[in-house]
Amino acid sequence: MRLNVLIGGKAGQGINAVSGIVSSVLVKYGYFTFNYRDYPSLIRGGHNFNVLSISDKKVGSHESELDGIVALDEKTIEKHKSELKREGFIITDKGFENLGKNLNIALAGALIKVLGIDKKLLIDEVKKRFRNEKSSEAAERGYKSQKEKFKLKKLKNKISIMTGSQAIAQGAINSGIDLYIGYPMTPSTGVLHELAGQQEKYGYMVFIPENEIAVANAALGASFAGAKVMIGSSGGGVDLMTEALSLQGQSEVPLTIYYCSRPGPGTGVPTYTSQGDLDSALRAGHGEFPRVVIAPGDPIECIEKTNEAMYLAEKFGTLSIVLSDKHLAESEFSSDRNPRKPLKIEIKRKIPGEDIVKANSYEHDSKGNTTEDSRLTAEGAEKRIKKYQQIKNKVKKFEMIKIHGNKNSKNLIVGWGSTKGAILDAISDLDFKFLQVLYLKPLSDEIKKELLKAENIILIENNVTGQLGRLIREKTGIKIKNRILKYDARPFCSDELKKEILKIK
Amino acid sequence: MSLKERLSTKNEITWCPGCPNFMILESVKRVFAKLIKEGLKQNNIAIVTGIGCHAKIFDYINVSGFYGLHGRVLPTALGIKLGNPNLSVIGFAGDGDTYAEGMAHFIHAGRYNADITLVVHDNQAFALTTGQPTPTTQQGYKSKVEPQGQHNVPINPIKLALVSGTTFVARTYALNLEHSTKILEAAIKHKGFSFVEVIQPCLQFNKDMNEIGKLTYVIKDNKGDMRRALELADEWDYNSKNGKIPIGIFFQKREPTLEEKWPRLSNLMKRKVERKNK
Repeated sequence: MRLNVLIGGKAGQGINAVSGIVSSVLVKYGYFTFNYRDYPSLIRGGHNFNVLSISDKKVGSHESELDGIVALDEKTIEKHKSELKREGFIITDKGFENLGKNLNIALAGALIKVLGIDKKLLIDEVKKRFRNEKSSEAAERGYKSQKEKFKLKKLKNKISIMTGSQAIAQGAINSGIDLYIGYPMTPSTGVLHELAGQQEKYGYMVFIPENEIAVANAALGASFAGAKVMIGSSGGGVDLMTEALSLQGQSEVPLTIYYCSRPGPGTGVPTYTSQGDLDSALRAGHGEFPRVVIAPGDPIECIEKTNEAMYLAEKFGTLSIVLSDKHLAESEFSSDRNPRKPLKIEIKRKIPGEDIVKANSYEHDSKGNTTEDSRLTAEGAEKRIKKYQQIKNKVKKFEMIKIHGNKNSKNLIVGWGSTKGAILDAISDLDFKFLQVLYLKPLSDEIKKELLKAENIILIENNVTGQLGRLIREKTGIKIKNRILKYDARPFCSDELKKEILKIK
Repeated sequence: MSLKERLSTKNEITWCPGCPNFMILESVKRVFAKLIKEGLKQNNIAIVTGIGCHAKIFDYINVSGFYGLHGRVLPTALGIKLGNPNLSVIGFAGDGDTYAEGMAHFIHAGRYNADITLVVHDNQAFALTTGQPTPTTQQGYKSKVEPQGQHNVPINPIKLALVSGTTFVARTYALNLEHSTKILEAAIKHKGFSFVEVIQPCLQFNKDMNEIGKLTYVIKDNKGDMRRALELADEWDYNSKNGKIPIGIFFQKREPTLEEKWPRLSNLMKRKVERKNK
């Protein structure tokens, strides 16, 4: 069973409260939900919509064909009517004109009724969120206005909802973060907000300096002083940080970056999604130095991989990049899996205060004194390369790739990051194996073995050049000829993706 | 071993012979030695340098530090303070460093008022890249990049610091060792962001300004009178080679520091612990 309901309206009308209330009720009822958020770069007005996908099995994507539309304004119906299935339902604002700001709560109530769920769960949820009579009344009025269309049975699954942003913040907190430094930029801002809101509770600090250049250089200063630090930004902001990425390479001061992509180049399409920055994450910064690039594919992986990234940064004095995108950061995922126990991060290096310690942007000797000596320069270069070997050995113990689907299938899909949900949903009833690449640097040796075993390989990426495909070709010599690439700033819908896959197969 | 020896390193000093940077180094060592005698732990000093002639000082003082990037002394220093507010953080930067590449940081440092010190070695030239003009270079200065001379009006960093909310603003002269030592000590002891502009003749490039030391005169320390501070700042425009150049403390005011305003940092300071031992 799977339903897709679009909830649309003007920015400011509160469509997120509709999907929020309904999905909270649904997960308590044992159903998995996935909520896709689509909004342009404006604050009030315009047209925003969410697509709430509901399933009795795990779900990590939305579909293009709709079972229902919840319209907070006329425009929503105009724009999305054509996506509605023949027997699909529409819930409108008619009859609720006098509700004002509580219209969204009424429509959430209406949708709950259409789904055939008990009213008590709805009222409890609304009371928990808003704590006023008017809201409960609105929910009640909405509920009464509709007839049951579906009769969802209660299921026993234990599910929680999380966005990628919340999960990255959780991973940082689990790692014992002392300081998060950031500058607002969509879609990385979610983590900045999440961490800022919890800083008093967990006793770390969030600081917003004048620009991303200051963010990255201050982070290295703080890390040098012994703090566990993470910084975050998106494409243009990471560009500004680039000089400090290179400084990290030379100074070997631990640094973890949350890199949340949106479509570029330039300002691009700021509130939409893309996997266009893998190349940038792998290469940004001049000179030759090691780094780790990890791309989680769902919130639970965000929690675990952020912890691994911070662990590796501290242990090896390296640059760790956690690569995400708008789709993973801002979509609301449901999961019945708990994250693994975090790795404990200990600062074993000498820090100022307990000894004399020098970090240097110049080539330097083992004490941190500047040098232009040819032998010491060569030794420095070799040391950095050797460190990469040590990192490679260490990360073999972590999940660098995951294999999903039919493990014996000769049909193989290769992908990474936020496409995971759509790929899993698309192949759920197909004879396909899915190779999810989590570590982009270092890249797992297992990838080549998997490619050699397969007869039919398809690369799926949310970008125009197939950046993972190029990386795999560079490292393995294998060119993946079949590619499904989407670069219209929108994520894959699982039903459309399935059609594309079947076309190739 | 004497304190000053403990503060020295064996690295070869590569400034030009006679460079006033030697005098700045001497003054810094004297101040650090005095502060250590008064109870500051040598291990609790952290310096930050940018890139340029000034920055070589990193290799010549035996304290912790970060030899950062051109223009980034202030964010790096701020970061160290956020990382461990129990460290005494002193940044050394050049005029190109601070007023060209790193200008945004300079203005915002006043707003944050973290308890850090910035010492700008202002030789009115990009010297280590062979003499191009910086934002404080006087008009008419000829260089390889501007054979017809510098057209732009120099900025006045003292005025800029004052209007940016810097709570300690001072100017000194590198060759006046007694004065620079006194000012540097006062700057480090000031609670909040302290800015010391050091006039430092460049013997190789901007030779036209080599004689301006003669114009300097010591002012009476000015505490919180902003109008007076701005008047004093206006006495020299970084262009003229005559008139008078005031040196001394232009402005000083006690305001809450960044560390005092952020509970997370004030807790660390109260406990006098480094992050690692928490």
